[in-house]
Amino acid sequence: MCNHSSVIFILSFFLSSLVSAQEGTKATPLPGMRGTPSNLPDISVIGDITGKVTSDKNDLNRNKILVREIELALQGYIYPEMRADVFLAMHRHGDHFEPEICEAYASFLKIVGGLSLKVGKMHVDFGKINKVHQHERPYVDQPLVLTNFFGNHGLVGEGVSLGYLLPLPFFAQIDASAWRVASEQHHEEGVEEPEEFGLADEVYTTRLWTSFSLGETSELEIGASGASGKGSHYLEHQDEARVFGLDLTYKLWPSAYKRLAFQNEVLHLIRRTPVGELKRWGFYNYLGFQFNKYWDAGLRYDWSENAFPEKGKTNSFSGIITSHLTETTKIRLQYGYNFELNSHEAFLQLVFGIGPHSHPLQ
Amino acid sequence: MKNKLSLALMMGYLLPGLVLATDKLEVVTATSDLADFVKAVGGDKVKVVSLSNGSQDPHFIEPRPSMVMQVKKADVLVRIGMDLDLWVQSLIEASRNSKVMYGGPGYLDASRKIEKLEVPTGKIDASMGDIHLYGNPHYWLDPENAKPILGSIVKKLCEMLPSESEYFNKNYEEYLRILDSAIAKWEEEMKPYAGAKIVTYHNSWPYFTKRFRLEIIGCVEPKPGIPPTPSHIVSLVKKIKEEKVKVIIMEPYFNLKVTEKIAKDSGAKVVVLPPSVGGIQGANTYLHLFEYNIGKLAESLQD
Repeated sequence: MCNHSSVIFILSFFLSSLVSAQEGTKATPLPGMRGTPSNLPDISVIGDITGKVTSDKNDLNRNKILVREIELALQGYIYPEMRADVFLAMHRHGDHFEPEICEAYASFLKIVGGLSLKVGKMHVDFGKINKVHQHERPYVDQPLVLTNFFGNHGLVGEGVSLGYLLPLPFFAQIDASAWRVASEQHHEEGVEEPEEFGLADEVYTTRLWTSFSLGETSELEIGASGASGKGSHYLEHQDEARVFGLDLTYKLWPSAYKRLAFQNEVLHLIRRTPVGELKRWGFYNYLGFQFNKYWDAGLRYDWSENAFPEKGKTNSFSGIITSHLTETTKIRLQYGYNFELNSHEAFLQLVFGIGPHSHPLQ
Repeated sequence: MKNKLSLALMMGYLLPGLVLATDKLEVVTATSDLADFVKAVGGDKVKVVSLSNGSQDPHFIEPRPSMVMQVKKADVLVRIGMDLDLWVQSLIEASRNSKVMYGGPGYLDASRKIEKLEVPTGKIDASMGDIHLYGNPHYWLDPENAKPILGSIVKKLCEMLPSESEYFNKNYEEYLRILDSAIAKWEEEMKPYAGAKIVTYHNSWPYFTKRFRLEIIGCVEPKPGIPPTPSHIVSLVKKIKEEKVKVIIMEPYFNLKVTEKIAKDSGAKVVVLPPSVGGIQGANTYLHLFEYNIGKLAESLQD
């Protein structure tokens, strides 16, 4: 009886302290400080389920609805002006899933002056879309030029990235980074995947990113990026590669929920192999319009040469319509036409989010 | 003279963290309402920039790189808090400005001294719509809440520029005096409508309705942030008729078409009220905002 009373007393005390913690006046904890109990980080799960219909009979994902990726994010502050972001993912590879540290990095938000530092594994700041997680992009697939020059998962590396906000009257940031990128990191024994090119081994990247406000309702962002490293199959091909990129994004907000976005990236690859030098180009243009709080639509045109000695090019057109249920949950329909293969494809995608999820300014 | 100028420039470059006695405090706010409060207290000793304007939904502002520069040079950042302006966070983190980072001397969460309404006590998730973990964040819509907000602002400005404390406190006292008489006038104007039942589009108005003794019997959104379904519209129309609701309040940026359809089917009237300074022409200050909203609402309830 005595024990019961003690338990009830302790429980009442605990519950009353919880209630009192919620009432009254206090400041709002930041993202990364909002878990309960209060020392938990922000925890979220993002799921990406995509169905594909295509006229290409060689496509392994043809006429299937598949879970493409499940991402678990743990985010929080680890010290004043210092935070950690961990994104663990289960990626689909053929018929099975592979666990992967998608990103895991610590950010020193300010070192000195305009300098910041990130260290760990992350999507590299190259251009506008490489650093954006798949579920955050306004389309189901990756622009062709990124796949052709950086591989199916884009350019992801482990290393250190310094960012400097230039002391100018307008926004201008320069990033300089050194990475180690695993070669053929997604190739598994017994799993058949198409040969892909990317940068690997020691990779050095830089990016200059600037932005101008064109009045209260529009903004123009311009960026230039560079990357240098070896090819992802360098042991076999003995190749070195450099990629240069330019990006231009214009955004217009005509009213509270309406938004026009016009984004363009052009990339140039120079690949040096023992048998000679390859030079390849690729670009994409994306025009998106958000009609209201819940709906947006977009068009994307892709043109890209491949990264292989036998020169080939692909161009395609995509039309996308997205219904946003919440900030992280959306349903998307995308149609694509590949001019080279004369193939049609359609995607139906559901991206869902549970829990508080955030990304840095992109 | 040239040397002195160079020295001054160098000092300004080398000691950006110090606010000199002759400098103006640079203040950046998340919303136009907070900017108006800072102007009222700070007068000509502050330079204020709001990151959003009154015609935008403060839940959904897209952070822009150019905004980083406003935050970078700020001595003080004032935000709404309570998860309404989560978008401010990425700007703070990109700014490298220690002064306005959480825990920094210039960081101010204006909700700190507010008695919050609708704080969830049990588990919450997205099945309940866009529920805010720390309570309903539209607290500035009760003019009495302007007082604790102003109190927090004056305290912060005095801390950051102590040499002007007297000036800030004088402005604060003066504004409170004007606010008190304005609140008394608005309460008098709304007195005949005490207990009137209303419908709102989004759950933005509980602080306002509590102050002016109105009763919200439903929202056009079935749950916060969730668009109305046909069945919800049918039941809401029925409820409006049963409860003899005269007015549906909506913000300028919500879907007027749906609201007008509900109004037409139920016999109620749509009243578009800006929730923030600058949300409509003529509502250029916090006092004008309430002047406009009270006048418009009283007129609609009278009909």
